[in-house]
Amino acid sequence: MTMNTNGNIYTIVYSAIIVILVAAILAFASSALKPMQDANIKAETISQMLDAAGIQEKGTAASNEEILDKYAENIEAAFAIDTNGVVTGTLSIARDNIELIDGLKAQNKNIKDKKDAKLPVYKFKNGTTVIPIYGGGLWGPVWGYVAFNSDLKTIAGAYFDHESETPGLGAKIKDDPAFRALFKGKVADFTAKPAFAIVKGAKGDHEVDAITGATMTSKGLSGAIGTWFKAYAPFFNKNVEE
Amino acid sequence: MDAKIKETLLNPIFKGNPITVLVLGICSSLAVTVELKGALVMAVSVIIVTGLSNLILSILRNTIPNRVRIIVQLVVVALLVILVDQILKAFAYPVEKQLSVYIGLIITNCIVMGRIEAFALGNKPFASLLDGLANGAGYGLILVIVAFFRELLGSGTLLGMRIIPESFYEAGYMNNGLVILPPMALILIGCIIWVQRSIQKDLQEK
Repeated sequence: MTMNTNGNIYTIVYSAIIVILVAAILAFASSALKPMQDANIKAETISQMLDAAGIQEKGTAASNEEILDKYAENIEAAFAIDTNGVVTGTLSIARDNIELIDGLKAQNKNIKDKKDAKLPVYKFKNGTTVIPIYGGGLWGPVWGYVAFNSDLKTIAGAYFDHESETPGLGAKIKDDPAFRALFKGKVADFTAKPAFAIVKGAKGDHEVDAITGATMTSKGLSGAIGTWFKAYAPFFNKNVEE
Repeated sequence: MDAKIKETLLNPIFKGNPITVLVLGICSSLAVTVELKGALVMAVSVIIVTGLSNLILSILRNTIPNRVRIIVQLVVVALLVILVDQILKAFAYPVEKQLSVYIGLIITNCIVMGRIEAFALGNKPFASLLDGLANGAGYGLILVIVAFFRELLGSGTLLGMRIIPESFYEAGYMNNGLVILPPMALILIGCIIWVQRSIQKDLQEK
């Protein structure tokens, strides 16, 4: 049997079958691989927090299991707060059931809309308190983790990441250790607005220098820090006084 | 027959190398050759995609409506590329994060479409599979050679391990920052083409 492979009906039916088939394969692959991908993303998130808290060196390659072990060893408490600084819930820190608040994008929207945000606070045994930040860079989202010393003012370390900032320019927020080192020892002033900023020609303790050639990324990151620090300010101010 | 299989397998590695002779796939070979590890993953990914896309489309070749054949090819290639990306995301996450943009760009890699159009649509599945694998390997070979020199000269490491001893640096040796940048990759590929043309005289224009 020979079919006319150039007829209109044949062409349409053929295309439809191919597309449906391909869609089915992709949907299956996506759902089959999702648990492993999520585990990778979770381990990476934890790894970024450990970097910020100064518990591990950046670039030390570790397996997911090692990262989870390290987190379980070093974490003291993890809980969620709202934008009034009230603790609204605890996050499990058990080795086999580590709870994180991911979906920072949704929380970022909650903060901006002044809705009930669920903000995570991670306290580590080395005295640091780690909070996330999230915002828009030049091409896509930028986010990161900032660790504070036990005085809840002095920055102990920071880790930033991005989705698609320009390599060699905006991407330096992640790739350039010198930029992240700028944050160490700086002080966030949670009574001021903004509490902390990235500016050109930084002066004093509450500012760091922006990255040359990456003005938009620097501004975006600065805005992310400003927004999130403001959301955490009630919590920090409360706990500093005590 | 054996001689033909051998020819199909070996020709793309050297004599008809997709990068140095056909000058296809230059763009990605500039982008992913800063580190050897990335180049190796990219090479394996491209070998899988070229091999399987050639195989699948060769099996389908008599059923594909001629007017939409490029679209059908694209759908199949895109399927394979997304699968490779998803699998890397599950099993080699750090590498995927570093390469994700370029993995996606395998879809537009001229070698893939080039081999489908030129070979798979006119040959039997087995021969097409071999042709795809061999062309991917030819591409990968150049990638690895370029990445070897770029990582060694640019970072002093290979696969992330320090090769150039610390004492060299103390004596005043410095990594070459230019090698990290894409233009140097182009020059390196130029050098490889130069070497190949001086060996293989029939490539030289009169």
